[in-house]
Amino acid sequence: MSSAIRIKNGKVYDPLNGIDGEIKEICVQDGKIVDSVPDDSPCIDAHGMVVLPGGVDIHCHIAGHKVNLARKFMPENKRHDVSPRVNELRSGTGGSVPSTFTTGYRYATLGYTTAMEAAVPPLGARHTIEELHDTPVIDKGFYILLANNVCLNQLLEKGRMEEFREAVAWWLNAAKGYGVKLVNPGGDEPWKGHKNSNVHDLDEQIRGFDLTPRKIIKALIDATNDLGLPHPAHIHCNNLGHSGNYTTTIETMKTAEGRRVHITHIQFHSYGGEVGKNPTSKAKEISDFINNNPNVSADVGQVMFGEATIMTGDAPLTWQLRNMTNKKWINADTECESGCGILPFSYQEHIYTHALQWAIGLELFLMAKDPWRMVLSTDHPNGGSFMNYPKLIRLLMDKQFRKEQAALANQKAINSTSLLDLEREMSMYEIAIISRAAPAKLLGLTHKGHLGVGGDADITIYDDQEDKEAMFNAARYVIKSGKFFIKDYEFCSDFQGRILHVEPEYDHAITQKLRPFFEDYYTIQFDNYPIADSYIHDGEVVPTKSLS
Amino acid sequence: MTDLTLTMKYRPNQRVDMSPITCDKLAGLELAEIAAIELQNGKRKIRVDDLFSLTGSDVCNIHIENSFAKLDYIGHGLEGGNIRVTGDVGAYLAMEMRSGQITVSGNTGIYAACQMKNGLLQVIGNVGDFLGGALSGNKKGLQGGTVIIRGNAGDRVGDHMRRGMVMIEGDAGDYCGSRMTAGTIAVMGKTGRNIGYGMRRGTLLLWQQPKIPATFGDCGTHTFSFLPMVFDAISKFDSKFSDSSKHFNRVHRYGGDMAEIGQGEILVQVDSA
Repeated sequence: MSSAIRIKNGKVYDPLNGIDGEIKEICVQDGKIVDSVPDDSPCIDAHGMVVLPGGVDIHCHIAGHKVNLARKFMPENKRHDVSPRVNELRSGTGGSVPSTFTTGYRYATLGYTTAMEAAVPPLGARHTIEELHDTPVIDKGFYILLANNVCLNQLLEKGRMEEFREAVAWWLNAAKGYGVKLVNPGGDEPWKGHKNSNVHDLDEQIRGFDLTPRKIIKALIDATNDLGLPHPAHIHCNNLGHSGNYTTTIETMKTAEGRRVHITHIQFHSYGGEVGKNPTSKAKEISDFINNNPNVSADVGQVMFGEATIMTGDAPLTWQLRNMTNKKWINADTECESGCGILPFSYQEHIYTHALQWAIGLELFLMAKDPWRMVLSTDHPNGGSFMNYPKLIRLLMDKQFRKEQAALANQKAINSTSLLDLEREMSMYEIAIISRAAPAKLLGLTHKGHLGVGGDADITIYDDQEDKEAMFNAARYVIKSGKFFIKDYEFCSDFQGRILHVEPEYDHAITQKLRPFFEDYYTIQFDNYPIADSYIHDGEVVPTKSLS
Repeated sequence: MTDLTLTMKYRPNQRVDMSPITCDKLAGLELAEIAAIELQNGKRKIRVDDLFSLTGSDVCNIHIENSFAKLDYIGHGLEGGNIRVTGDVGAYLAMEMRSGQITVSGNTGIYAACQMKNGLLQVIGNVGDFLGGALSGNKKGLQGGTVIIRGNAGDRVGDHMRRGMVMIEGDAGDYCGSRMTAGTIAVMGKTGRNIGYGMRRGTLLLWQQPKIPATFGDCGTHTFSFLPMVFDAISKFDSKFSDSSKHFNRVHRYGGDMAEIGQGEILVQVDSA
């Protein structure tokens, strides 16, 4: 049986190969993009259509215990958004935190074929993998939380840097993670020990350790670079959401000292003003810094008006938001590894802070000189569901639409930013960069985000429409690994995607050093902690660069 | 014009969603059109005339005869009109009803009067748990109207109740009035454990002494001149509550739940004897 497909007459945007809207033929064979296929292969005439690589989401929350807790404690959010079974597809529920199956289908329906779950305590990795197995179609991986890890902090405190790096590598192997995530580095320890406590400055002593957040950040940036991981340290900076936090963000980026680092949902970290008072936009300062420092990349974490769910490892932040909303919330502690907070949230146009957040996100997109380093995300579901991506794309591509939408929001907030002065309209090529090519490149996924020969045949085809929101909402064809998920607007098959993970090399002697810590402090036996290879049904190990 | 009567022909194994059969939704339909309406039955759809034999034409007065405990969502969102049921009914009776009247001769399942907005619901038999409650995750249960239960009620009567009047001639189960934000629940019979759990505001009016939880404060004995007015207002309904020998104006008052904002009250009849 031949699994060849030929796509002809389509307008192709493939930034990694420098193709900007050329009419070009794309050939697919056995799940990969190839030079040519036999003449009698099935053919799609993509005349009047736009051909893009499958989307890559660098930061979202789609699996793991906190996601599952959020699903369970918000039935009111899901009751009105039921996805019945269609063709071969399984049923599920939506809302801002869709069920596993629905998550996979809805991502793929938008043309996204890869998504990275951004915050998993290693202890929750097994659960996460179980859920990812049930998240169909898309390829996925997850970042493990290591910045509030008591065991690693102890090594760091004693300056045992080599062992620290070995331990990071062991942890990535043990949890089958894809990358290292830092959330509010050092902030969980004071939170767990003292009511409403947090760290507020990179050089503040962390209670209980002879450490500062800066030391943790530096150590993990170095470790991820030294281990040659495909994706560098993925940092949720300290002071998220606080007025005046942009200095913390810039300090965090400076800590990298020229080494690769990724700052996530940077919109939430770009505020001026005084703590406790209304924030102001510091998008300009943040953009300038990133524009001038090519080692730094970021995703935006755009806020979209409407339903959202806050879910984060940043437990103290959730407490603060809970005091604002006065609604139900969840706060949890993952032993020795992380904190966690969840609460339902709604971004509203008329509220100053929400409108400001919305505007800052757009400013960051539009002020970035290098779209390869300022990529698209809503920090799903924190800034809004990924289902908002088409609307977000339209906001970036259509100046008129942006102004209309800005007119509906709090004018005091909008006018305090430079949003209305930004005339830039992103081109389809730039959209292809921020939603496909750049995230793939930042993740080190060399076979994704492009349509060059040898790449994965993850392809989306849209009707070329004036209204970009409508266009990106309804992919005409979605091909994942050479298989049709959507064919002529119709769902046609249900299949599994792969789990992407890394296996950096490490010296096995480290296990003997870690074992005593587990025996003293963990509720799980050390030997039961690592996830066996056989646990992953369909995995792919993304190579690390060899240690030099 | 005779009342529209649906007589059940047989009892299906799976539950039936009866929400399409309300006076307002059937208005203007011919009998043949009503017969052709499809009801969700488990994972299948089933035609109305497969399940019921139909007579009469007045959709403002619907009788459901021979009903049993798997007919859910009877009177869902009812806006005006009268539904009378002979037999038991399933869950979600009169859910989100806006106006009109529903009478059930038998027992009901859980979530009767769930999120009901207004109107009158009378049940001759017993009701299940969460009478006048809110669906899980929702914050507002019963939001208005009157509910009269001749038999007993299950646990968590008036969970998240917001407004309206619930009258129970028999007993109520555990957690009666849990998480209430407002409204009145009157119970002539016994009540279970943890009465008024998490109650914010609202009134529980009791004829028999309950076991008062530790988070309620004893406010002493009072004579309230508003009680005769309350009894006067509810006497218009056909129930034991209109019997003036059952009326009183001297009560023992307990305030709580102090683990919440504590503005709710439990009023217990004080024997004048």
